[in-house]
Amino acid sequence: MATATVEQAPAAADAVPSFQVTMRLRRFNPEQDTEARWEDHTLTMYGTDRVLDALHKIKWEIDGSLTFRRSCAHGICGSDAMRINGRNRLACKTLLKDLPLDKPVTVEPIKGLAVLKDFVVDMEPFFEAYRSIMPFLVTSGNDPSRERRQSPEDRARYDDTTKCIMCAACTSSCPVYWTDGQYFGPQAIVGAHRFIFDSRDEGAEQRLEILNDRDGVWRCRTTFNCTDACPRGIEVTKAIQEVKRALLFRRG
Amino acid sequence: MTDPSSIERHSFDVLVVGAGGAGLRAAIAAHDAGAKVGLVCKSLLGKAHTVMAEGGIAAAMGNVWSDDNWQVHFRDTMRGGKMLNHWRMAQLHAQEAPDRVRELEEWGALFDRTPDGLISQRDFGGHRFARLAHVGDRTGLELIRTLQQRAVALGISVFMECTVTQLLKEGDRLSGAFGYWRESGRFVVFEAPSVVLATGGIGKSYKVTSNSWEYTGDGHALALDAGADLVNMEFVQFHPTGMVWPPSVNGILVTESVRGDGGVLRNNEGRRFMFDYIPEFFKAETADSEDEADRWYDDKANNRRPPELLPRDEVARAINAEVKAGRGSPHGGVFLDIASRRSPEYIQRRLPSMYHQFKELADVDITAGPMEVGPTCHYVMGGVAVDPDTGESGVTGLYAAGEVAGGMHGSNRLGGNSLSDLLVFGRRAGLNAAYAAARVRSAPAIADDDVRNAATAALAPFDGTGDENPYTVQHDLQDVMHKLVGIIRNADEMRDALDKLVELRERTTRMTVEGHRQYNPGWHLALDLPNMLQVSECIARAALERTESRGGHTRDDFPGTDDTWGSVNLLCHLDDDAVAVRRQPLPSMPDELRRLFDET
Repeated sequence: MATATVEQAPAAADAVPSFQVTMRLRRFNPEQDTEARWEDHTLTMYGTDRVLDALHKIKWEIDGSLTFRRSCAHGICGSDAMRINGRNRLACKTLLKDLPLDKPVTVEPIKGLAVLKDFVVDMEPFFEAYRSIMPFLVTSGNDPSRERRQSPEDRARYDDTTKCIMCAACTSSCPVYWTDGQYFGPQAIVGAHRFIFDSRDEGAEQRLEILNDRDGVWRCRTTFNCTDACPRGIEVTKAIQEVKRALLFRRG
Repeated sequence: MTDPSSIERHSFDVLVVGAGGAGLRAAIAAHDAGAKVGLVCKSLLGKAHTVMAEGGIAAAMGNVWSDDNWQVHFRDTMRGGKMLNHWRMAQLHAQEAPDRVRELEEWGALFDRTPDGLISQRDFGGHRFARLAHVGDRTGLELIRTLQQRAVALGISVFMECTVTQLLKEGDRLSGAFGYWRESGRFVVFEAPSVVLATGGIGKSYKVTSNSWEYTGDGHALALDAGADLVNMEFVQFHPTGMVWPPSVNGILVTESVRGDGGVLRNNEGRRFMFDYIPEFFKAETADSEDEADRWYDDKANNRRPPELLPRDEVARAINAEVKAGRGSPHGGVFLDIASRRSPEYIQRRLPSMYHQFKELADVDITAGPMEVGPTCHYVMGGVAVDPDTGESGVTGLYAAGEVAGGMHGSNRLGGNSLSDLLVFGRRAGLNAAYAAARVRSAPAIADDDVRNAATAALAPFDGTGDENPYTVQHDLQDVMHKLVGIIRNADEMRDALDKLVELRERTTRMTVEGHRQYNPGWHLALDLPNMLQVSECIARAALERTESRGGHTRDDFPGTDDTWGSVNLLCHLDDDAVAVRRQPLPSMPDELRRLFDET
């Protein structure tokens, strides 16, 4: 065989410990279920496998109708946020071995957004909140034929909030968002933060006005769920606090 | 269910299929040109494959290295593609890339900066100067986010999680497209005199790939079915550095920036083996000692490039050879080492995503030890044959841009040239699609029969009576392509692959899809599979025809590069529903460009 790349089964593969794991899935098919139900699958998995690998195994080998979003499979695209053992995580970045395997691993859709099927939720309200905070640079007077400068310090100021992958793990972990869908939610505020603290942006005033709304930034109760949930390690609560401070400073 | 009058309809001047970098840039350009634009994508907006690009956008900004300019970039691109690139595309690309980067910055993109506040430039393989505009190792994320934000600012209509299954025509020209909503399974018809394909690549036909689930060759197959030609399909890029361990992440990309930022490749004897694989073609510009190679990072004027930064096809073949010779790493790759060469702080600042990727998925600290890497299917150079200036295919009204278009990269793409390609040709295709739509006097018609047939074809997988599972068929296809039409090829194996593709095609007629139309991934895959098979056949047929080795096409039965093949492109088209391959002479380069290759 001509292609001798990475696919010969390496001897060391046998050394990876395998184990039995029960995946307890919160299933919902609108065409046959009136409400969601739990379904268990017990599988043999390996020490290097992630929750996503277990879901794929079920879908490919046991039940082809299992439905979930996934794309890049390594934490960049933000498609596979799920509630795993009660906590929002990306299935592609959660290793099974890091979960307690003596009891079932529960997988549910993220909360606060309507479930369409299995782990697929309606993302439209999430995107609507994102769009409402003017997520684009507002600027005037720069000559596009010349390169605009930005100092490394100014650039570093908002680096953290540009890492957002819009997976909705933060917004759907927020207790305020669960009870009141009108609240913009953490992601939209992170999105606004990314521009408010960009030295090139001239739209901060308008953005802050939007977030000063009754459904805006003041609804945050600082529970830190969002910061805990963020798979990118963004300090979400801190960003929200900085926006609050910017509003207070502006008032004064 | 298949009654055309009951199907949702939308009417646009320009319909863009695909919302990665090329599709978004095309939609923005068409909108700016005054067209009414619809943008359709299989995923949620902002999740397209572009998001995974890591290294940067190649553009001769001339801001950091004043000797860099479009002529040098053009020359590097053509040499990287072993001169098989369409010269005009390579020229436009090199000339316009800097403007596209400045424009992204204008729209708010974040870039890493020099101490003076200029857009920082990163070294990459095959590029004479550091010329990749970048944000750490998440450039694709920032690029797609910036374009997404621009699309939001302009109010462009987006149809998310919607898949196009057929292009519709009136006579010889495009009139629209037929598709389905992934969520509801309901059908939708788009009327549009101009359609821009920006659907990306084909990597999901291979077993080990860095590509995401979307890469099923949809646009390639749609164009072929509509009567367009595909060019250069035999050239598939295997990126030299994919993760090889653990198995669950086999194939996931390890950015070339690791080498651009100082990382080196070693075999299990600790040797920097790339010095043993410098081809004659690149000898004059490649360092022949470790000392010279290491000096190059700081002094490019007086030293030559390290061999680790040869074009990707060269590096991938070298790794393959080392592994075959028994000098590989424990899991069948080689070692990529930056830990012994750069400080932990530098590595974490320049390559934060790589640091986390290895830490979390492989339990390896890349600031302390080497990574294990090996080739992974990454990019298809082949695609829809288009007019270089307008992006229009041979079918009136059908445009293509980005990975789904062919010609720009010849036989091998340089790293960083994809993001710039998306921007340059996405914009051109969008603009020209809009201009053409404005010139159309009356909207081309869509025949009810065509809609009915498209609906019937889309529902066919539900009527299957066999016992084939679409996931199993896909896995078997990936196996066939990986083993028989992979990084090293020969005639016997490719003939075997073509036979197996016939069997696989036959198996697709016996697939059974469980459940109903609402968000049914098995059904979606059953509709993607014919595209994957069609494109795989094009790759195998073109690869069998080209009896030489060049760029992303290596044959052990014809190991040398053959000059007579250096002036020939292979085109695939459909002849009575069968894939046919024909030869076409390369367009001839004007003398003023040819002269650029006389200088070194």
